[in-house]
Amino acid sequence: MAAQALADAAVRAGHHAQAFPYFGAERRGAPVQAFARIDSRKIRVKSQVYEPDLVVVLDASLFELEPVTEGLKEGGRLAVNTPLRPEELEIGEGTEAVTATADATAIALQTLKVPIVNTAMLGVLCRVQDLVPIETVMEAVQERFGEKLGAIAGRANASSAWKAYDGAVVGVASGKRRIARAKEWRPAWHEMPAGTSLPSATIDGVEVGPGSARTNLTGEWRWSTPFYKKDRCIRCLRCWWSCPDAAIDRLDDDYMRWNFDYCKGCGICADICPVSAIDMIKGVHRW
Amino acid sequence: MTSVRSPVAGLRNVSREDMLVHGHGACPGCGYAVTARNIAKVLGPQTVVYVPASCLTVFSATYPKSAWRIPFLYTAFENTGAIITGLKAAYRRRGIEANVVGMAGDGGSFDIGLQALSGAAERNEDVIYVCLDNEAYMNTGIQRSSATPFGAWTTTTPAGLEIQGNRRFKKDLAAIVAQHDVPYVATLSVAHFTDFVKKVEKAKSMSGFRFLHCLTPCIPGWRIEPSRGVSIDRLAVETGMWTLYEVEHGVPRVTYRPRKMLPVTEYLGLQGRFKHISEEDVRTLQSWLCRKWKAHYGEEVEEPPCVIARKDEGLGHDGDPLHGL
Repeated sequence: MAAQALADAAVRAGHHAQAFPYFGAERRGAPVQAFARIDSRKIRVKSQVYEPDLVVVLDASLFELEPVTEGLKEGGRLAVNTPLRPEELEIGEGTEAVTATADATAIALQTLKVPIVNTAMLGVLCRVQDLVPIETVMEAVQERFGEKLGAIAGRANASSAWKAYDGAVVGVASGKRRIARAKEWRPAWHEMPAGTSLPSATIDGVEVGPGSARTNLTGEWRWSTPFYKKDRCIRCLRCWWSCPDAAIDRLDDDYMRWNFDYCKGCGICADICPVSAIDMIKGVHRW
Repeated sequence: MTSVRSPVAGLRNVSREDMLVHGHGACPGCGYAVTARNIAKVLGPQTVVYVPASCLTVFSATYPKSAWRIPFLYTAFENTGAIITGLKAAYRRRGIEANVVGMAGDGGSFDIGLQALSGAAERNEDVIYVCLDNEAYMNTGIQRSSATPFGAWTTTTPAGLEIQGNRRFKKDLAAIVAQHDVPYVATLSVAHFTDFVKKVEKAKSMSGFRFLHCLTPCIPGWRIEPSRGVSIDRLAVETGMWTLYEVEHGVPRVTYRPRKMLPVTEYLGLQGRFKHISEEDVRTLQSWLCRKWKAHYGEEVEEPPCVIARKDEGLGHDGDPLHGL
């Protein structure tokens, strides 16, 4: 929807524009892509965008998983959701780009009360491009989101974009480390003999096979953190049982310990606790 | 129901070992993950899992990574019953003792996989079939299935001006499977811990076709707060939207009976997918529930008073399937 709002803004500013999502699993936290193509002439290309001028990254942990800057043109720009400064970012070997960063998650939590960062990132994006002014983007956001989600939501999203625009830091980000594309090393289906299964192994430094999902540190998704008051705990085991991410370790004495590498902060444990021994504290903490 | 302060007895002896480990990519608060993890936990390491197309495949085992510590297989959507039949045959031929489990969603059991499920049940194959029922095709973007309850919004049953939400009542799949005269059929809820463990352990100890049907809340699909992913199952049982029972060798037995029927609005009010529901639809649903209650628990029930609590116009982000794009 943010890509649509951007295209909408581009049209308002007198350009031709397209916006479209990439079809994939529609699940929260799943990596997704959306594209916008803007030109001063009529656009006849209908393909996905392979060589972008501008990449917007809604979650900086993607730099660890996918070569997101792949195909970025010489002189291309980046907008990244991260509390870090552009100079501190690692964006993948051989790339250097003028980058705007802002802690869009914090801004979205402040303005929208939910960690949905798309409109804030439109604001950040406006700092590294000059095709569409921020005012037009805010106008488009307010109208498009307002139409779909109500006027209050429209205004809140527009102000989210403005705050991010205002607070963004611009600098040059570069990369030293190579980010391997998963497809480069894993065998295709026709290269695998029939009847084989993938064993637990490490290939090119990547863990594969049974149990290998452990290397995905899903704790990065968290935006509120459970706080455990051990003295109130009656050891009923409800939280341990109900954790979708197996992020609560049941110790030998049946008290609990949270594993913040994996806790996604859903809050089920606090909701299910019969004696309120768990509080959900806003923000990403480890204790 | 265990009293609030006492520890949950049924959970004491459950193993600390997880078969579905952390690091999978389910939404925060996913009911699917809670259920799949706990069923695998109780069944233990001598288990092999088959999952057809569903969220569970996408979040737990996208090649080459896997969150399962036990063998995992995935092929096509419609053939859970057939695949687990074949798996069991292969294990039998090789002389390996293993629990063969198929974990399909409601789409893969109610609609698309029904013929394979029925076939495997009718042949009384020695497998466990788990239906993780989140009441729509959530993985592909919340399309209606025949498990979707009356009045619920989905992207294919939108809340329009003429018709608001799904017009059909939920199909009773457990009853259909029970009619195949299989050794064991049970319905599960993740919020009823002891009951859950007992049923899965009973299924594990038996042989022949065993069917477990579990209500698994879906955070984006039901439009609920991530933290309510488990406790909403309790409300489903208390309002009669879900009933807990087992059918062992043809003998049905209610395993948990709520003391008093709660009005269905208590359950609906927490879910954005029922936000639009009209008073007339609530009445229709409530009287359908009372009929179901009587048929199930064998007693008349007085219709509880339903009050629709309307939330203020919030940010409403959850009303849009394309949020985040």
